Amino acid sequence: MLTAGQKKLLVELRSSLAEAVPEGQISESDYATKGYHLELRLDKGGVRRVAQIMLDKRFMLETVTAADFIDSFELVYLYSTYNQQQVRLLTRIRIPKDVQPFSVSAIFPAAIWLEREVYDFFGIRFQEHPDLKRIINPDDADYFPLLKNFGKTKFTDQIDDILC
Amino acid sequence: MLNIKTIDDATINQRVYQLNLGPQHPSTHGVMHLLLTLDGEVVVKIEPIIGYSHRGHEKMAENRIYEQYLPNPARMDYLSGMIFNHGYCMAVEKLCGIEVPRRAEYIRVITSELNRIASHFIGTMDYAMGLGAITPFLWGWDDRENILDLLEMISGSRLTYSYGRFGGVRNDITKEFYDGTRKFIERLRSRFWDYENLINQNVIFIKRSKDVGVITKEDALLYGVTGPTLRGSGVKYDVRKHEPYSVYPEFKFEIPTRKEGDCLARYQVRMAELEQSLNIIEQALDHLPPGPVRAKVPRFVTPPEGDCYVTFESARGAAGFYIVSDGTRVPYRIKVRAPSFSNLFVLTKICPGHFLADIVAIFGSIDVTVPEIDR
Repeated sequence: MLTAGQKKLLVELRSSLAEAVPEGQISESDYATKGYHLELRLDKGGVRRVAQIMLDKRFMLETVTAADFIDSFELVYLYSTYNQQQVRLLTRIRIPKDVQPFSVSAIFPAAIWLEREVYDFFGIRFQEHPDLKRIINPDDADYFPLLKNFGKTKFTDQIDDILC
Repeated sequence: MLNIKTIDDATINQRVYQLNLGPQHPSTHGVMHLLLTLDGEVVVKIEPIIGYSHRGHEKMAENRIYEQYLPNPARMDYLSGMIFNHGYCMAVEKLCGIEVPRRAEYIRVITSELNRIASHFIGTMDYAMGLGAITPFLWGWDDRENILDLLEMISGSRLTYSYGRFGGVRNDITKEFYDGTRKFIERLRSRFWDYENLINQNVIFIKRSKDVGVITKEDALLYGVTGPTLRGSGVKYDVRKHEPYSVYPEFKFEIPTRKEGDCLARYQVRMAELEQSLNIIEQALDHLPPGPVRAKVPRFVTPPEGDCYVTFESARGAAGFYIVSDGTRVPYRIKVRAPSFSNLFVLTKICPGHFLADIVAIFGSIDVTVPEIDR
């Protein structure tokens, strides 16, 4: 159950997000099954405007990640609070594979490494990133391991059938 | 390819030079490379270079079913494997909507907290060893050995546990484990005074860690620092309290914090947390409910389409699993939030201006696990 403080913060957050990114779709999600309170879907840009709002509200950038949906990428930003009013916001943005999103590292330095990791594994290039290079994989690697077509064998699609 | 340069006069006259700390260095707690730019003995810039123990745990998840991934989380943070195992089980249970029996939740809390103590022993005593005190390390190892024996008794492994199952734990605890844990709590309580005596009043230890590597609250927020490292900076944030999971709301425990934000504060927070973990274990043993330890779940779980994020307090901070499911038995994407990853990055902010010898202290006080950073 949400406490009064959480509800207040959620209402505040919704209104300031609606003001900053009017094009985004905000929806409340079920914390018990999802693990986050608010979900914000963006179509094109606006990640930096969201990050600025979150910093003003004293949220921390928990993680930045992505998922490869064959024809597009989904970038996910998780923001969470440090204080008693625990609220988590998940920002999703679907981007075509050739689009270069903007980096939020000027607002949250934590993103410098998190975005480098996303670049390292998915090949998503962030614009205005101060130091975009490989972080975990070798510097001279010519592959992006978490793309769905990497490391695919003839068994990949049959794992389910083989096991049962 | 080796890129060897001959030293010319210009390089010799240059004030600033680079030094490699690691990848094989006793104070880097694993295979970690710190590229330091020094001016004399003062650090101007530090660049941690990671990835030496990357095993592709996130990619592995996409090639196996949820059950087959059970042994993996414990191999990410091998020092608090039980907690990661617990976290992964919680994430899949949340995705599938599986209810866990209360006894299983209690057992998970007991084992997680035991594991946290074992991990903090490494965090604190290894740090002391980095500063030149070898005896505490051996004492801590001795106490930690007891925990490993206890956990081996019920899970069969000493470090990389896969004791948790979806909907509970693998097997019930034995009377031997119950009595052994009670005995261990008693023993450890009697030894706190020894640790206090051995380290806390040591002049060298205090001089090398007080006012060294101060992380401010603002930096902690900007860099996403969590865990004891954050609590050493005076932020009272613990996932177990602020976003309670499992049966943690049923136990009374404090969140130790220190205001200073230096290495000593982080060390003190960890030592204080040992006592709190003991309190939790004791309460859990006192009120251990009867009943089954495993819910009835299908042999293979098939979560519905969707995603979920689960966060939990590992020994190093707020860790998390973000799972995307496409409705099959194979995960579509698993992302692990590694607390050490964010905690390590703050080094680039706090280290410049310190002496080279202080880097060893700062790095030790943050207590990172390298395989967790690299995954």
